Amino acid sequence: MSVGPDEEPLLAVRDLEVVFHTEREEIHAVDGVSFDIHEGETVGLVGESGSGKSVTARSILGLVDSPGSIEGGKVGFRGDDLTDDNWERHRGDIAIVFQDPSNSLNPVYTVGNQIKEALRIHQGLRGNEATDAAVGLLEDVGIPDPRRRVEEYPHQLSGGMQQRAVIAMALACDPDLLVCDEPTTALDVTIQAQILDLLADLQREEDLAILFITHDMGVIEDATDRVNVIYAGEIVERAPTGTLFSEPAHPYTEALLRSIPGRTNAAERLPTIEGEVPTPTGRAEDCRFAPRCPYAFAECHEMPPEHVDVGAERSAACLLHEDGSEEAAERTVFDGSEAVSGGDSA
Amino acid sequence: MARAHETTSGTLLPTNSPAAVWAAIGAVLFAAQGGAFFGFVVGVLGDLLTVTPLPGAAFVTAVEAAVEQIPTLLSRDVIPNDGYWNGSRWVGTFLGLPPGLAWGIRAALVYLYAFVFAGWVILGYRLYRREYRTADWTPRDDMVDRFRGHKWGIFGLVVVFMFVVMAVFAPVLGPTTVDENMRNSYSNEITYWDSDAEAVQTTLVGEANLASQSRGDNPERVLPMEYDDFGRFHPFGTLPSGQDLFTFIVSGSRLSLVIGLLSVGLSAGIAASLALVAAYYKGRTDLGLVLASDSVMAMPQLLLLIMLTTVLSGTWLAEIYSGGFVLALIFAGTGWTYMWRSLRGPALQVAERQWIDAAQSFGQRPLTIMRKHMLPYITGYLLIYGSMTLGGAIISIAGLSYLGLGIAPPTPEWGRAINLGQDYVATGSWHISLIPGLLITLVVTGFNALGDGVRDAIDPQSDATTEDGAAGRGGGA
Amino acid sequence: MNKLKYLGKRLLMSVPVVWLGASMTWFIIFMGPVDPASRLLSEGQTRNPAAYEAAQIQLGLNQPPLQHYLDWMSNLAVFDLGQTWLLYQGSNVNALILDFLPRTLWLGFWSVLIAVFVGVPLGFYAGMRSNTASDYVASMGGIVWRAMPNFWLAIMLLTVLGSAYTLAAGDFFALNFDWQTIGPNLDSISGSPDLSRLDTVDGFLAATKKVLPAAIVLGSASMGNEMRIGRTAVLEVRNEDYIDLAKAKGVSKRALVWKHILRNALVPLVPIITSEAFLLIGGSVLVETVFGINGIGNLFYQAAIQGDLPLVGTLMYVFILMIVGINLIQDLLYTLIDPRVGLEGS
Repeated sequence: MSVGPDEEPLLAVRDLEVVFHTEREEIHAVDGVSFDIHEGETVGLVGESGSGKSVTARSILGLVDSPGSIEGGKVGFRGDDLTDDNWERHRGDIAIVFQDPSNSLNPVYTVGNQIKEALRIHQGLRGNEATDAAVGLLEDVGIPDPRRRVEEYPHQLSGGMQQRAVIAMALACDPDLLVCDEPTTALDVTIQAQILDLLADLQREEDLAILFITHDMGVIEDATDRVNVIYAGEIVERAPTGTLFSEPAHPYTEALLRSIPGRTNAAERLPTIEGEVPTPTGRAEDCRFAPRCPYAFAECHEMPPEHVDVGAERSAACLLHEDGSEEAAERTVFDGSEAVSGGDSA
Repeated sequence: MARAHETTSGTLLPTNSPAAVWAAIGAVLFAAQGGAFFGFVVGVLGDLLTVTPLPGAAFVTAVEAAVEQIPTLLSRDVIPNDGYWNGSRWVGTFLGLPPGLAWGIRAALVYLYAFVFAGWVILGYRLYRREYRTADWTPRDDMVDRFRGHKWGIFGLVVVFMFVVMAVFAPVLGPTTVDENMRNSYSNEITYWDSDAEAVQTTLVGEANLASQSRGDNPERVLPMEYDDFGRFHPFGTLPSGQDLFTFIVSGSRLSLVIGLLSVGLSAGIAASLALVAAYYKGRTDLGLVLASDSVMAMPQLLLLIMLTTVLSGTWLAEIYSGGFVLALIFAGTGWTYMWRSLRGPALQVAERQWIDAAQSFGQRPLTIMRKHMLPYITGYLLIYGSMTLGGAIISIAGLSYLGLGIAPPTPEWGRAINLGQDYVATGSWHISLIPGLLITLVVTGFNALGDGVRDAIDPQSDATTEDGAAGRGGGA
Repeated sequence: MNKLKYLGKRLLMSVPVVWLGASMTWFIIFMGPVDPASRLLSEGQTRNPAAYEAAQIQLGLNQPPLQHYLDWMSNLAVFDLGQTWLLYQGSNVNALILDFLPRTLWLGFWSVLIAVFVGVPLGFYAGMRSNTASDYVASMGGIVWRAMPNFWLAIMLLTVLGSAYTLAAGDFFALNFDWQTIGPNLDSISGSPDLSRLDTVDGFLAATKKVLPAAIVLGSASMGNEMRIGRTAVLEVRNEDYIDLAKAKGVSKRALVWKHILRNALVPLVPIITSEAFLLIGGSVLVETVFGINGIGNLFYQAAIQGDLPLVGTLMYVFILMIVGINLIQDLLYTLIDPRVGLEGS
């Protein structure tokens, strides 16, 4: 669903900063992240492990615990700044689904008990009414024989069904925004497809906005309308999904796309990005991707790049797109399907 | 890749090799106290062997006597404290100082030496790690570094170290000796200043003890850090029998430590071997062992100890080391179950690893697999549970000697001191029961802290929800 | 899967354990280096061959060992425990046990209660407020408490309670504390509790007060352990995903703590609580001796030092039964508390 640019976003994250204070160092897991989510749309947040995506997800829900804390920026939900201790008031408006379904349900209570807990808090349902509603929710998420399942314990369900039950529990809060933190990573590929279909159906039926967090570019391509690419705690590119895949504007995005199996020539080796995602121990003083970037030049190591508009509703944080840089004259937009000169290791 | 000629630190002496300096320091330290070290080792061996019909016993006693002749720096001869007042000054004490001060100096020097020695060892390790080792980094380095920052573990290590020093240097630390003060008190004499007669007199040690008894509120009682009427200094006061409590305690510490180490060592050996065997063969072997250990654990350890000590008393086994040896054996025999239970988890985990399968696939012998591929992974846990079990063993030994079992009286042991003093706790002789109890608490806390520190160093994410609850409790004392 | 089947299996496993334990006991007592018959007789009598032979026959030691073993085991199985030789000479062992055992059970009951109801809440408190000053104080207290030898603590406690104290603030008020007279009157602060009037309020209180100091001492060691493990359990549970999800659902803080965290933290505590029971049985010897309680532990000790070895063996059998019984109770509790139990088996 496309929305007009002047419509008020449902969720507006601005310059979010989350810092973890450990004994040895300070880790700036989220360092100035900003993005919007509008009603009814699916936005993706993609990045490698350690890029800060999960921390971002948790900070939207106010679930960041010591030694981490939100130290800057704001999370605006319908105008209210949640970081101002406002999470309690909006409980249920935003729901979250985690990666490991076996750990997401309390093992000592039945599935029904936990769904009814949410129903009681957000819809005031009790007793048989609540049970019926819970059964209905289980049915909605595609669990067969829901009357029986509602009385069972989490360990009695398979992984895929557990995740569906978690989604049901989230829906019981009647949320406007559903944050999904790698919801299918721990599941089989076939189940993965089913869960993705389920989420798409639910979005249509309930007009749900979804924040889809993953490292799997293939899933992003299928499931999202717009994408944010995150690297080392910073958003490096924002674009509508189709355009991101056909014309990536940031070298990191380009490298990510190239590493998807199936996108390169079968005869060549699968390209990888050498090196690892750095752990940011201070505010950005340079481009964090520069050490691994094939297009890096001198300025890249000296100043952090700001976001620059590179097209309709898209931006990238890369000095190559800054007006006036010499290299900008050469290329402003990368062709995602070409192999980069210089061989298969970027 | 020896980089001995490009060391990062300079040296004071005109050599370029820190290793040589280190070795030289070591030689000096060793020469000063070598006699004491040998004395400790030979003494323990001698105690263990004197009652067995082995031919080595006489030889060991001869060696013991010879070793005692080796001059050592920190001995009772060099810094004596058992002199006497002759009306105008102290005779026969170190530098003519009062006996209390002389003793204090000697004790402080002993501990100073011990810490210097420990520092020398640590320095050697750091030197080795920095200069002489080929590897730049091993996983053990991380563990050591984590332990270094672990305040609680360091505290435990210090306490345990001081306890070990007390045990090793026991003959030197006390103001007097067990032989003179307790065992042969009527064969030894002391000289003292009789203030009534205004003259120097001599008397038997036994008689002097009789006049220094601490029995409640009697006027002759000697409290901690006091002199008795005979010019003798008692850092911890005296017992109801008049004997010196500090000497009692330090010699008891040696007993506790040796028995503790022996029993835990045996326990660990049994537990580790069984754990490896059970984890390697799995299936019925494991089940059988679980059954066996459950049966042993079904008998409460303390009661089993009582039963076995009673049954085995009067046998030749119980003569060794005043009953300490048989105690250690019984401990090992009943205590291996807790350690085995704790090691079973890690051992099973290691057995699941693929390199075990790989080794089996190319025909490696089971024993070699267990020793080479599985054992290194459980040694860490051995350390943890070993140190905690040691603490528990100390409490159990004390408990048994409190009851009068285990260590045969009159051999000093901490539990017995508590027993001797229990009637006087509310009186003026409160020190007799209080001090040993406090010491036990401190030492056991130290062992537990050490175990905690090692555990956090080895696996920072592990938790305490394993069976070690039983391991650290000494079977019920 | 079936809880009853799991319990049945555990019950079945207990039988060989009891059998092995009893056999080991028999071996130690009757096949050990000490001759039980000669132990029973006094110095003068041992030289009397007739008396010696009579003792042997009475003990059944003139039979071949296997026969003796079978007789002994079958006697134990039907609780035909015979008579005593030295202790309370000639009394029926069954009656003796029935007289002494309740006192130990009373002591054990209160010890466990104190350990659980003081140790566990303290541990939970420390876990919820981890790494604060109160956590450190509580944890340190627990550690030191655990390192104290319980017989020493018993002596100290007896001393403290044996004197009367006065807390005075000038002329305004004076608080007299005399353990002997506070609440129900005790004729002496040590000695066995009178269990004959437990059905009356007064009798119950008096018996409880009598045994309270001993129970505190006996429970103190376990208390320290339960505290430490309770704390760790709470810390672990707090970090689980399902707690975060419950928080995201909007569950109230109180419900989060009581319904979700504590209920799960109890799970690892169950085996600890019951394993401490073993130690209680062993440690009761020391505590009973100091406090002069004529319980079964004290009986065991007296029998051992006086040389009544057959009684020692019989009593050990009773202890084995008690411990195995406690194990079974632990399994029962486990199945009640954790719905996942029964799946893997052990």
